[in-house]
Amino acid sequence: MHSEKIKNFLHKRRQAEQSGGEERIQGQHEKGKLTARERIDLLLDEGSFTEIDAMTTHHYYEFDMQNKKFFGDGVVTGYGTIHGKQVFLFAYDFTVLGGTLSEMGAKKITKIMDHAVKVGCPIIGIIDSGGARIQEGILSLDGFASIFYHNQLASGVVPQITISVGPSAGGAVYSPAMTDFVIMADKISTMFVTGPEVVKTVLGEEVSFDELGGAMSHGRNSGVAHFVGKNEYHCMDIVKTLLSYIPQNSTEEVPVVETGDDPNRLDNNLINIIPENPLQPYDMKEIISSIVDNHVFFEIHELFAPNVVVGFARLHGKTIGIVANQPMVLAGALDIDSSNKASRFIRFCDCYGIPIITLVDTPGYMPGTQQEHAGIIRHGSKLLYAYCEATVPKITLIIGKAYGGAYIAMSSKNLGTDVNYAWPTAQIAVLGSEAAVRIMNRKELDSAKDPAVLKKQLVDNFTEKFANPYVAASYGTIDSVIDPAETRPALIRALDALANKRERRVPRKHGNINL
Amino acid sequence: MKFKLENTDQNLDGEIVKSIGNNEFVLKIQGKERDLKIVTMTHDKVEFMLDSVYHITKYLENSTNRITLVVDGVKLTFNKRPEMDKIVYKNSGADSASDSQINLKSQIPGRVVSINVTAGDNVKKGDVVCVLESMKMQISIKSHKDGVVKSLKMKQGSSVAKNDVLAEIE
Amino acid sequence: MIKKILISNRGEIAIRVIKACNALGIKSVAVYSDEDVNSKHVKMASEAYHIGPAPPAQSYLNMEKIVETAISSGADAIHPGYGFLSENADFADLCEKKNLNFIGPSGKSMRLCGDKMECKDAMIKAKVPTVPGSPGIVEEVEKALNIAHDIGYPVLLKSVFGGGGRGIRLVHNEQELREAFEIASGESKAAFGKSALFVEKFLPKIRHIELQLARDKHGNAVHIFERECSIQRRHQKLIEMSPSPVVDQKTRDQIGELAVNAAIAVDYLNAGTAEFLRLDDGTFYFIEINARLQVEHPVTELVSGLDLVKLQIDIANGKEIPFKQKDLKVNGCSIECRINAEDTFLDFAPSTGKIWDVNIPSGPGVRVDTYLYPGCTVSPYYDSLMGKLITWGQNFEEARQRMSLALSDFYIEGVETAIPLYKTILNSKEFINGDLSTDFLDRFKILDRLQSDLKNEALQKSEPALAATLIHSEFLKNKIKPRKEHNIRWKTQVDRH
Repeated sequence: MHSEKIKNFLHKRRQAEQSGGEERIQGQHEKGKLTARERIDLLLDEGSFTEIDAMTTHHYYEFDMQNKKFFGDGVVTGYGTIHGKQVFLFAYDFTVLGGTLSEMGAKKITKIMDHAVKVGCPIIGIIDSGGARIQEGILSLDGFASIFYHNQLASGVVPQITISVGPSAGGAVYSPAMTDFVIMADKISTMFVTGPEVVKTVLGEEVSFDELGGAMSHGRNSGVAHFVGKNEYHCMDIVKTLLSYIPQNSTEEVPVVETGDDPNRLDNNLINIIPENPLQPYDMKEIISSIVDNHVFFEIHELFAPNVVVGFARLHGKTIGIVANQPMVLAGALDIDSSNKASRFIRFCDCYGIPIITLVDTPGYMPGTQQEHAGIIRHGSKLLYAYCEATVPKITLIIGKAYGGAYIAMSSKNLGTDVNYAWPTAQIAVLGSEAAVRIMNRKELDSAKDPAVLKKQLVDNFTEKFANPYVAASYGTIDSVIDPAETRPALIRALDALANKRERRVPRKHGNINL
Repeated sequence: MKFKLENTDQNLDGEIVKSIGNNEFVLKIQGKERDLKIVTMTHDKVEFMLDSVYHITKYLENSTNRITLVVDGVKLTFNKRPEMDKIVYKNSGADSASDSQINLKSQIPGRVVSINVTAGDNVKKGDVVCVLESMKMQISIKSHKDGVVKSLKMKQGSSVAKNDVLAEIE
Repeated sequence: MIKKILISNRGEIAIRVIKACNALGIKSVAVYSDEDVNSKHVKMASEAYHIGPAPPAQSYLNMEKIVETAISSGADAIHPGYGFLSENADFADLCEKKNLNFIGPSGKSMRLCGDKMECKDAMIKAKVPTVPGSPGIVEEVEKALNIAHDIGYPVLLKSVFGGGGRGIRLVHNEQELREAFEIASGESKAAFGKSALFVEKFLPKIRHIELQLARDKHGNAVHIFERECSIQRRHQKLIEMSPSPVVDQKTRDQIGELAVNAAIAVDYLNAGTAEFLRLDDGTFYFIEINARLQVEHPVTELVSGLDLVKLQIDIANGKEIPFKQKDLKVNGCSIECRINAEDTFLDFAPSTGKIWDVNIPSGPGVRVDTYLYPGCTVSPYYDSLMGKLITWGQNFEEARQRMSLALSDFYIEGVETAIPLYKTILNSKEFINGDLSTDFLDRFKILDRLQSDLKNEALQKSEPALAATLIHSEFLKNKIKPRKEHNIRWKTQVDRH
């Protein structure tokens, strides 16, 4: 019965699955890019994808558009599962009108975002788009605005992840920028506000697509990309791993996975990672790797601001966020980029109930006009604000130097940190000994008979009295000086004791973080 | 779905036809229907009966395009997307190849006893880059290609884990 | 009579000695480092004492600490096992000084055996034939190069103080010799405190044949047949067997007599082994005496019916060896495979880590000596021998077949092993024909065959593997176990702060 209708339906469905047609799919493949549906297939669990709005079309008629109607209208939306967890996604379809965004496309995307927020599941966007559909003019721009609005509505409610596997230009780049994590595929994806042609015309500057806004550029220079994937497979792997660490929405508990790593595992070798000479650098990631479950650390923003290290790991099966100085880069000093990187990460962890563990070894802030004129004061304050704002369990471990403002900024006790530990090698002071002596004892040094000897004496004196964790411990600013070998069990026990932490603040619309 | 068994020329075809529930499935492998019943599942192993023959599997690695598992003690790797590889690798090198081109990784855990090159040195494939000590034996780690040492990622006396990057050679 | 033995060793040999102690009603004392807190030998001994941190120098090689522990635990004897302090003459002397019965030869005898050059001299005097090579120690690489140039490549670079195949390197040309000299020097210094190397001509297609010896305090000396240990990798034994396919009773008697003479020449006491090389034409050359019980002693036990560790303890107690040479007869055939934690395809690099699961084979004629149990750890601080799989059969073929089947049953999860390699070797026609030599692996390109065997195995398992791949998503869903109550908060949530 109704065989004609059924036949017609099946035909339409097949057509919808064809997107822009066989020829355009070939063209996409020749460029070394996969189609939207192939990407969804790689990302989601086998057979779990349900597409919605497959048969939407645009309703435009200017510029002869009525003869260029395609099912889907350049975006594929729907939902499915990744390793069993429900997610909602939209993928721009480059084979349909270059993946340009139209009024209907924006409607599809905002519809799926609304659905995700209603049920509390993450939103994943796969970007491969020529930008606004010029023919639709203002409707296309309004479409983007609508997407941005929904990005904000969802921000901090459900995790939003962007996978950039193609171009994305002009205003379109702002949606990814508002999401929580951006993964760009090397050599395939580009993001910039104004393209190389306009740059050439207006400024006379010649620059390639990849140099201006390629994955490595954003991974290293601007920090727009949190991850740079080697290829599309790798991008999907990154997203799947990322999702395994974070909860589905802001009310869900942090995922717990059986890792099999003994929570009481000691490491007698940890202390040997720190060189005897405090001026010699070491790799903070070695310390992180020893402490976390199965030595697995999922680093975020690896290439950007490497003087600070952020990422996810597990302790006793539970996800934690790690923020740590990296003594191997700029001696671990804080600066504009690192303050931004760490603050954003801390605020994400706070949105989703992920405890934050901070490892400290920093000599202070980077000096110089470049930093000052670029506003290290403004950007540095973000880090302080983020730590104060966060109400998730916060634990700090001071490993080495912690001087002055940087000591305060790296999650010190009075910023609302719950547990503060220090190793015996910690040096907590306002200034390094040399600098302190130079200032405090300037008169004595100037009038001394043998200033070098006196200076050494004063420096040693200062070091002994102040450059250690015990003064802070005597005031309770450090809760405990711990044996480095016992770091892992100490952190796990502190986390267990903070399990149901609850903090209430005076209600307000929102604070005014210095941006 | 097509799968390619790595290091061989064999391509296999397989899919789940239906799930009967109670951990039982009907699969189609190489065109033939097979019955599968999961006997037990732990956090890293699955025991199942495939047409009344018992098998035990441990999953080692799983990524979007590859899966490595040990079945009845035999280790093998499937390429899950043989048709897509050509497209995906067009702009980047093949998965692991592009990585090892620069990175010289350690095959074993051990302690760095000596480092025999410095950044900027020219090396040939087979030149000794460093010597590691493990299990009372000293093992020299050789360069995997001709090139120039871009940077060293280890220092004398430090411990390295398996797969740690020891040096970058361009 | 010995009442309590402290075993200054770890791993499978410590367990072996504990078993002999139990058989004799003697108490056993185990010692362990930080790494071995959970080891099986600690659990099995009558008492166990902690002696130091993981590095051997601070624990299992710490003579003073071990002797101190022996005295305070009331032990009256020490069994050193193999490796570690078993051939350390100073340790044997120290034990004697402290009135601890050292189960093995005297320090003096050990010194003689341990110094390969001096031992060679003693053999020449005793008319035991030895291998041509460098007249003395080479301290500089240039001297080594000259000698190598004279006797012709390939040559073996050996450490005077090496034992058990360590510190032996095969080099084919000048560049390799230079490289090897540096590394061998370093190894020798690290393990024995000094670097003393010598150069020997490499003889191809040779068989490594050794004789088990025993001599008691009354001067009685016997040999307990030969073992063939030709299948080696980098001069470390992989597979051993007794009897050797090329040794008939006449040869056994001849070489056995030579071996016994060697033992008497160095005034040897207790159990030891005389190692020989056999050229393709049947000539035997003496190499060295190993002044200890060897790893491969089980194959001798199975073809003789003797418990060699019990024999050691009896000899240490002053008893006479309870049989005469003519009473001993080879019974059947025994083969042993050393199960090492090594990655065959990474040039046998060590593989360490936690052992998640073990399945130990058993059945008629199958014996396994091992410290493995599910949950134990293979440590990077010690050598890679995890255990030995030994089979016995009424003839070579039965022993070989039992070994092949047992290898298939031996399942170790957590580290790489050479078990697949052994299967390929055991099933090769060359092995079946007894065509063994120390360059067996290279001569018959065994590693290539292993690759193709593995490939065939993978092809055979491809369908169940595909089935497992298809249900992988089920596995993941089970592993992650989303907790349904999580999203209830989402539904009932009114506002946040």
